[in-house]
Amino acid sequence: MRLAVVGKGGAGKSLVAGTLARVIARRGHRVLALDSDPLPGLTFSLGAEAPEDVALGAAVEFGSDRRWRFVHGVGPVRAVQRYATDAPDGVRLLQAGKTGPGGRAPMAATVFGFYMVIQGLSSAAAFRDWAFVGDLPAGPYQLAYNWAPYADRFVLVVEPTWQSMLTARRIKRIATTARPGVAVSLVVNKVAGHDDAARVGSYLALPVLGAVPVDEGVRAAELAGVALIDFAPDGPAVHAVEELTDRLHGDRLG
Amino acid sequence: MKILVAGKGGVGKTTVSATVARAFARAGASVIALDADSNPMLGVSLGVGPEESDVILDVYAGLATGETEHARSTEGFVERFGLDAPDGVRLVVASRVDTPNPGCRCCGVSPHSLLAELEQDDRIVIGDLEAGLGTLMRLEADQADIVLVVAQPTAKSIEVARRAVELAANLELRIIVVANRVRDDADLAAITAVVGEEHELVVVPDEPVIGEADRDGVAAIDVDPDAPGVRALVDLADRITGIAATA
Repeated sequence: MRLAVVGKGGAGKSLVAGTLARVIARRGHRVLALDSDPLPGLTFSLGAEAPEDVALGAAVEFGSDRRWRFVHGVGPVRAVQRYATDAPDGVRLLQAGKTGPGGRAPMAATVFGFYMVIQGLSSAAAFRDWAFVGDLPAGPYQLAYNWAPYADRFVLVVEPTWQSMLTARRIKRIATTARPGVAVSLVVNKVAGHDDAARVGSYLALPVLGAVPVDEGVRAAELAGVALIDFAPDGPAVHAVEELTDRLHGDRLG
Repeated sequence: MKILVAGKGGVGKTTVSATVARAFARAGASVIALDADSNPMLGVSLGVGPEESDVILDVYAGLATGETEHARSTEGFVERFGLDAPDGVRLVVASRVDTPNPGCRCCGVSPHSLLAELEQDDRIVIGDLEAGLGTLMRLEADQADIVLVVAQPTAKSIEVARRAVELAANLELRIIVVANRVRDDADLAAITAVVGEEHELVVVPDEPVIGEADRDGVAAIDVDPDAPGVRALVDLADRITGIAATA
């Protein structure tokens, strides 16, 4: 399972990605979570420690030909082995650089390093049996620049607002133009009324793979900065992501 | 006067930008609403209509299709690529990413170049920025006067707001923290505890009318200008013009 979670800002991408990663791991799979958002998000939702410095930058150097390259003896697989960090339930987490008080310069190496790693991951035999769960930043931007080449399925997280639906339509268009035939699965988040999910599905012409209800537990977890699956493990939102995982595995597709 | 609206994705930047822009215009100001997000949605919240907003010609694409006649003049951009939104707000969309490999968006016309050039003495420019910190990190001091840093009661958005405040403070810009979707004192305290108590602060209560407007693809100020959450943003506009008058 190679997933990239995409959608408008605030739609609940990190929440879905972090919870999905934990649920998949609890079912016995090895999971690599790929966080390409320069803002902190997935670490909160996974319940991982957020390191001040992302060490991945040490995997690459800026060559005399003015191009980034892996340092001697390091490739995508070794970079993940060395620089991914531990998250709960055995999930491993690889992060692109985070924007901090140091500005852009210290970020560049980890951003380019991350990009180089993900270009090589899909074909890496060492990760053949791993599930990937990628969390992309808000909007279509990164997707347009091929920041999820590992994905065989885009998980489109959409809330029932026009801004979110229009964004999702752009993302779907970009994803399916760049990679015709790629799977796109719709998750409707913050579902309140009974026709919310159907309305979004019909607008985007996609079947609804999952519907996550409005859940006060989500609000409380987000305020506390605690992973939803740790904060409200028995709430309706976690339950919805568990069902979604079943469907992604095809367990209930029949 | 140039006002930027920054924050994490989904905190309400676009609602703040649109409502404040409409309020300025209703008070008689000449207003340019610059959608500086590569996933532009400002038209929806201004009340232009969702599908209508999605097809507004952006400056980047307009120039790329050979509309060079106006390329030398920023006023030409406003004239050629702008669109009149309700209350006479002039909406300009900088660029829209909706195809794979869309080319470099830092070169040529950029939100930064537009911000630097769009200002006139008698005009307010309000820029709705891309989610996150990218635009603020590359910002220069002459490209803005005021930064509205929007946060909501989530740890992630508060952390992004803290960094946005830091970046704006380094440029010595006037900072107004907009605490959005606040339900109670605990929500507000969570925001001010991290972002800092020393900044100007506007509290926008959690507002069902704004949620309704987003579901219907209309402007919140058209649904109910007197709803408390909308009112707070209209008051913010008054406060800013007050600031301008005394500056």
